[in-house]
Amino acid sequence: MQAIVKKLFSLILTVLVISFLTFIIFSIIPGNAALAKLGVDASPEQIAAMEEKLQLNDPVIIRYGRWLFGALRGDFGESLQYSGVTVGELLGSRLPVTMVLAGISFLLIVLLSVPVALFCVKFRDRLPDRILTVLGQVMMAVPAFFLGILITYIFGLLLRAFRPGAYEGLSLRYLFFPALSIAIPKIAMTVRFLKSSVRGELSQDYVRTARAHGASEDQVLKNHVLRNALIPVITFLALVIGEILAGSIVAEQVFSVPGLGRLLITSISARDYPVVQAIVMYITTVVVSLDFLVDLLYRLVDPRLRRGG
Amino acid sequence: MKKSWTFARIREFLRLNPKILIGLILVSFFAVMSLIGQFWTPYIVTRMDASSVSEAPSLLHWMGTDNFGRDVLSRVMNGSGITILVALITVLIGGIIGTMIGALTGYFGGIVDEIIMRLNDILLSFPSVLLALLLISFLGPGTINVVLALGILFIPSFARMVRSEVIRYRDRDFVRNARLQGIRPLRIILIHILPNARISILTAAAIGFNNAVLAEASMSYLGLGVQPPTPSLGRMLFEAQSFLLNCPWYAIFPGITIILMILGAALLSEGFKEVSGA
Amino acid sequence: MSMDELLRVSHLNVSFPDDDPYDGIEERDTVVRELSFTMKPGDILGVVGESGSGKSMTALSVIRLLKKSARVDSGQILFQGKDLLSLSEEELCDLRGLGISMIFQEPMTSLNPVLRIESQVSEALRLHPGKEPLSTEEIHQKVRKVLEDVGLPDPEGVCRMYPHELSGGMRQRVMIAAALITDPSLLIADEPTTALDVLIQEQILDLLKEIHERTGVAILFISHDLHVIRRLCDRVLVMYQGQIVEEGETKEVLDHPQHEYTKTLVARIPRVATVPGDTPVLEMEDVTIYYPPRGASSGLFRKVKVEPYVYGASLKLYQNEILGIVGGSGSGKSTIGKVLTGLHGIYDGTIRLFGQPLEKVLAGNERPQMIFQDPYSALNPSHTIGWTLMETLRSKGTRSREKQQEMALQMLEEVGLSEAIFHRYPRDLSGGQRQRCCIGQALLYDPKILIADEPVSALDVTVSSQVLELLLKLQKQRHMSMIFVSHDMNIVRLICHRVIVLDHGRIVEEGPSEEIFAHPSHAYTKKLIEAAMLE
Repeated sequence: MQAIVKKLFSLILTVLVISFLTFIIFSIIPGNAALAKLGVDASPEQIAAMEEKLQLNDPVIIRYGRWLFGALRGDFGESLQYSGVTVGELLGSRLPVTMVLAGISFLLIVLLSVPVALFCVKFRDRLPDRILTVLGQVMMAVPAFFLGILITYIFGLLLRAFRPGAYEGLSLRYLFFPALSIAIPKIAMTVRFLKSSVRGELSQDYVRTARAHGASEDQVLKNHVLRNALIPVITFLALVIGEILAGSIVAEQVFSVPGLGRLLITSISARDYPVVQAIVMYITTVVVSLDFLVDLLYRLVDPRLRRGG
Repeated sequence: MKKSWTFARIREFLRLNPKILIGLILVSFFAVMSLIGQFWTPYIVTRMDASSVSEAPSLLHWMGTDNFGRDVLSRVMNGSGITILVALITVLIGGIIGTMIGALTGYFGGIVDEIIMRLNDILLSFPSVLLALLLISFLGPGTINVVLALGILFIPSFARMVRSEVIRYRDRDFVRNARLQGIRPLRIILIHILPNARISILTAAAIGFNNAVLAEASMSYLGLGVQPPTPSLGRMLFEAQSFLLNCPWYAIFPGITIILMILGAALLSEGFKEVSGA
Repeated sequence: MSMDELLRVSHLNVSFPDDDPYDGIEERDTVVRELSFTMKPGDILGVVGESGSGKSMTALSVIRLLKKSARVDSGQILFQGKDLLSLSEEELCDLRGLGISMIFQEPMTSLNPVLRIESQVSEALRLHPGKEPLSTEEIHQKVRKVLEDVGLPDPEGVCRMYPHELSGGMRQRVMIAAALITDPSLLIADEPTTALDVLIQEQILDLLKEIHERTGVAILFISHDLHVIRRLCDRVLVMYQGQIVEEGETKEVLDHPQHEYTKTLVARIPRVATVPGDTPVLEMEDVTIYYPPRGASSGLFRKVKVEPYVYGASLKLYQNEILGIVGGSGSGKSTIGKVLTGLHGIYDGTIRLFGQPLEKVLAGNERPQMIFQDPYSALNPSHTIGWTLMETLRSKGTRSREKQQEMALQMLEEVGLSEAIFHRYPRDLSGGQRQRCCIGQALLYDPKILIADEPVSALDVTVSSQVLELLLKLQKQRHMSMIFVSHDMNIVRLICHRVIVLDHGRIVEEGPSEEIFAHPSHAYTKKLIEAAMLE
């Protein structure tokens, strides 16, 4: 219990440190918010007036405090590129799209990789396993955006399963394809990880003990190996969720899906720092909470961590 | 006598490990191809030709032409050079600085080690594409900034790997033995410990190369990396996307080039890993 | 074949693929050759041999748990009249855990970390339900009973525990309980005591003996340790390079070995031949040694807890003397050596070497040198032996490479190794050769004090006595003083002038070795001597 509290504490600390660091860095890069809001043609007087209005002349610490105070109440300020729109509204409209996209990818990964991995373990070192291993190797080498382009070409242009670039509403049918492009390389990674985890466990001494007790191959796998092999997969899946978020940045760009990732790219190009900062905070929170969740899950699954910790 | 013995070992290495062999062939093929591409290409890389727009692969244009009539093969040859160069430099930056940090913190431990490694853990739990994007947003788009951003990004993973290797050997008896012979810590780290980590470092370098190729291509695809008119594989894929229906080969060949390069590096790293595990 | 035979192995040959990559031809390495023996119900048969002698392969072929790459080439294994080699995998599963059970060397890793003890002990019972399957409650009662039988306190509590909550000795008891729950007729024990501390070893042997007397289970006991075999087994097979070289009544074989190999196996430990001087080279007064804060994970916010390893130890080491330090694992016996060589620096009290403070000596060139337990870990795997030796000379200040090479080659000769070793890597050498290299490296430094930390306990018996002989010879020639750290009372008695007994960081007894062994006064010393089974 004490360990959990400690972990929670370090979680909050991490989020704070990262928010502070990004804030500092954004405030020292050239091309400040006033400039970004007014455009390059603005006169020095206009800029000075805008700086005054945006309170850019206060010390960084004060501005950070102001930002943090707002952020705690859910107020991340106003977007610079879309005037009059708050960052909160912007995120609120983009977030659900990315969440659905990430959700579909995650489901695809879990639903496909576990059975495939078990199939490979069952036929390990035989032909089906070998073929899948080579296939997986190639899949892992495919960059997400190229996969996206291939899927666009095959499913969108040749098979006409969806209309590339014509995204409307929250269309599951449309989102399935970017989700697929995110999922495929991750499926290959997950299968490989699961397989090596099972292999590692199979060479452990306790497997020999189980055999000596009279357990058959299937019983050894089912009763002993899988439970041990799945423990590290928890960490791996948490990492995969982070990777899905990263993948969605690229996939949203390829498939023109108006999600968080696309917003991030346009905001970076437009130097819309309040938006970038908010997205960074969002992703940081997700990643760090995942880490915390993994820790809790570990305690549930692995008795070695349950007591004393 | 010693030389031939080393040679035999190299031969044994390659024969035992088909992955290293195939990886080596792939990587060196693209290295040579892109090197040639810097000095000579079948057509001038940026020359547009209105008479041969969006042509399918043929004997004249092995990989076809793009929407401006530029030769895709020439662009791939030249563009992969940038990709490989960026990847190599980033791996060098990340590898050298990361190895230094990892070796020192791993050997001496203490509070500095603790802090650096906590920071590392946080950084490593973020997807690298995202971090690269953020760094680019600080630094601004451009080839050199991509190199810098990726190089900085690779420091933590190298540092962590080298650190864990150094810790693995730090308490081995041969290091203790060296200590009680009065050998200086720096020499112990460099001459006694690091040679033992060479395969792990090679493996990490291959993985790093892999990630760098991927990241550079992604950045250029997103318009944040190599700027036009310099051809780069990622940029070409971006341009090709708008003309997919008319000239899919403009997307497919650069894509396959990236895949094969990454596959080569991945096979190398796996091969190294297998060899070190045996 | 008569029905009162439990197990008959005849002309068994087992081989592994030869992993030489150069010739494309598949060759096989025969690890068990024409092996034949029989066991009656209730027998305890010992199989003794060094690593690589094929003794474990023999055990694993009886229960058919050989690795996939291993192959039984020919022979017959009859268990209660059934030919095990012709059984299907399914029939084997029925037999394993029911008719034949097995326990292994590593109790720490041989239990599944994520399952409770109860489900692991009851596994064999649940996998072999028989005609009338037991209810959950009946199974629970049986598990409790068998846990009680193997001497575990609070069986009810142990049932609910996970392996990591138990000590090594307790885990081995759990392993034994799991093997015996189905009342098998044959128990195969593959080095079950090797990974355990001396005193725990003793308890496990007592337990096996007691179980044997109570249930009459036959035991096939594999070990490299002659003392263990002598304690437990009626009959013994001596294996060497996959073959049985001698067999018979245990006492007869060990007391009057016929075969040359058996003779070297029971070879006597060499005896110390020097006379110690009366000038002390080392004086320790009231020295308390603490745990390093680093290993104990110095959390940023947590206060470092300092706990002593060794409490207020005082001792003297004289010129030409060999001083033994004995104790079980965790007694702190290795720590003293680490402090004396400067590998571990946190202590209170005064230590003087050659009349000077320790720190001053450590800064100079008179530093004591150390021989480590595991010679493989003590040699740098990525450098040749020659490089390692020359590096020592370099650090000592010999600049010329020719000179370094000459001295290194000379040292190889002195420790009984050929010049060819100079260009070899540690992985190409045998355990004994490696330990000789380590000794050579230490001696290149020309130390006046040598600390040997369990220098032979990782080695096979025959090699061990040769290495001890070398150490004694060099000690005599070079007039060195030596601290010999060991858990093996048999060795310490013969090669040490004086002995210090450590228990949980405290010196409990000290004196000339003959005297301590003849009249041990402290209970802990008595236990250690008993465990060594001296006659």
